[in-house]
Amino acid sequence: MARYGMALDYKSCINCRACESACKAENGVLPGRDNYRIWVGQKEAEGEFPNISIASMTYHPSQCQHCDNAPCQQVCPTNATYYDDNGVVRVDIEKCILCTYCINACPYDARYVDDRTVTVDKCNFCSDTRLANGETTTACQATCPTKVRTFGDLDDPNSDISQLIAKREYKQVKEHLGTKPKLFYLL
Amino acid sequence: MNNFSIKNLFEFNKTPLNLLVAVLGIVLLGAFLAGAAYYILHGHHAFNVTRQHPWGLLIAMYVFFVVSSTGLCIISSIGHVFGVEEFQQIGKRAIAGAIITLLSGFAVIALEVGHPVTMIIYNVLTPGFTSAIWWMGTLYGIYLVFITIEFFFLTIKVDHKWSKIFGIGGLLSGLAAHSNLGAVFGFLISRPTANGVFYPVYFILSAMITGCYLLYIIYGFKYRNDYPEQLKAMFLKLNKILGMLLGILIFFEAWKIITALYGTMPERAETILHVISSPTFIFGEVLLGMLIPFAIILFTNGQAIKPMVYASLTGMIGIFFMRYDLVHDTLIYPMTMLKRSEYQLPPTFLEYFPSATEFAIGFGGIGITIFLFYVAEKVFNLDPDREH
Ligand code: SF4
Ligand code: SF4
Repeated sequence: MARYGMALDYKSCINCRACESACKAENGVLPGRDNYRIWVGQKEAEGEFPNISIASMTYHPSQCQHCDNAPCQQVCPTNATYYDDNGVVRVDIEKCILCTYCINACPYDARYVDDRTVTVDKCNFCSDTRLANGETTTACQATCPTKVRTFGDLDDPNSDISQLIAKREYKQVKEHLGTKPKLFYLL
Repeated sequence: MNNFSIKNLFEFNKTPLNLLVAVLGIVLLGAFLAGAAYYILHGHHAFNVTRQHPWGLLIAMYVFFVVSSTGLCIISSIGHVFGVEEFQQIGKRAIAGAIITLLSGFAVIALEVGHPVTMIIYNVLTPGFTSAIWWMGTLYGIYLVFITIEFFFLTIKVDHKWSKIFGIGGLLSGLAAHSNLGAVFGFLISRPTANGVFYPVYFILSAMITGCYLLYIIYGFKYRNDYPEQLKAMFLKLNKILGMLLGILIFFEAWKIITALYGTMPERAETILHVISSPTFIFGEVLLGMLIPFAIILFTNGQAIKPMVYASLTGMIGIFFMRYDLVHDTLIYPMTMLKRSEYQLPPTFLEYFPSATEFAIGFGGIGITIFLFYVAEKVFNLDPDREH
């Protein structure tokens, strides 16, 4: 079984947000202010005029980090949130009671209430819509024009993602919380 | 048990205060039903909670009710568990109150949780043992069973041995349940202001204070400030206990604030600074909830009973704000995740104001409490038995 993660060459992101659209279309995410599985954040430029650092102005595509030690999973009273065989953190809509504890507990604001199922929804690396059909990429990766995203198996030493994070430096978000996120921001 | 008929359910002394409470109870009960109907039709969209502020007034009111229940149980156990004589007379009424406030809390939370039936099923089938909500819910269920049986042995089939055994069970499960409710917040590593040991301990402390306030209100209403001697003796002790508890609470709060501000740790210090400068904290929590009752106890040397009844009303308003702020303050710092320019303005503290439905359901729960209390007074004899 795999252990899926994603590496993001975030400095190549041009903020076109094709990934957001692709995700919404692929996974049927409903319109609405709070309804999004993935997003592109923008880091504002640092420094004071005239010494404004252009390099500091970057875009940060993000989504659920599929934490190996996920707070959302720990707090779920009915085990509706679970790790699947591929290490993907998922929500079982049969068991979710919509207590929204997991939304409070996720340090990455990755969860929201889905009006289709009236349960909590989040990125699941297109597990139902693509991986289940034998595809090997996520919708966001497939659509990205600048090849920011590399999705793959962290346990397979020959996978693209394993090669990338072995060779390049990366940072992670809020890893001091002990969540062991599986999103890698390549430096 | 009393002789009970539908007819005498509608008979009461039509004093202005009684009528006021009756009208209030009916209005609140009506509000609850209307809010519940609106929620059933419109689902979660009837509430003003969002992705960034997923919990709101209903969670606060649930905590408010179960705090009341635990508080009444703890204070009444001073009498029938620990054997302090003056407190034995309040046992039946306090345990009735504990059951009633817990049921009111359950009524409110049933409309907050999206799928309460699924909850009952999967709490049993696939229990999440690492979840504080699972422990809290399960322990409160056990607690309800204990205190209900305790009440049975106090009023229906009077048996002091069994009432004491179930009283101890109720006390222990109530303490465990309630501190787990604190842990629901304390375990949140994503929220630096809530994370830590404070809430589980503070919940028990504030429950005891709530229990004291409620006893003043319940007995103040019943006796209209004309108390029998034995009740006076109880109140004088309660004054001292409450004074001490409030002193400890003020001390706890002060240190919580100082440690949160010290060193200006990101997220935590800013949030607490924002919190302590908000009117709900200054006027609600501090003035109404703590200082007014504390000052009265202090300046009357714990001898005042009548003023404490009124101070308990402000105290309960303060307790409400403590519960409201507990939820709001935990969530107030935006989880920006570098979304600054895309989804929200540069980080400001989150805004939340409950919707009409949330008000109707949350405060409507108080109508359930008033109604059930009224019925309980009619059906059961909540005054001490002769042999006491
Ligand atoms: S990012 Fe949030 S939702 Fe995703 S696994 Fe981690 S805690 Fe859970
Ligand atoms: S909202 Fe659903 S998935 Fe989230 S903690 Fe509650 S039951 Fe689990």
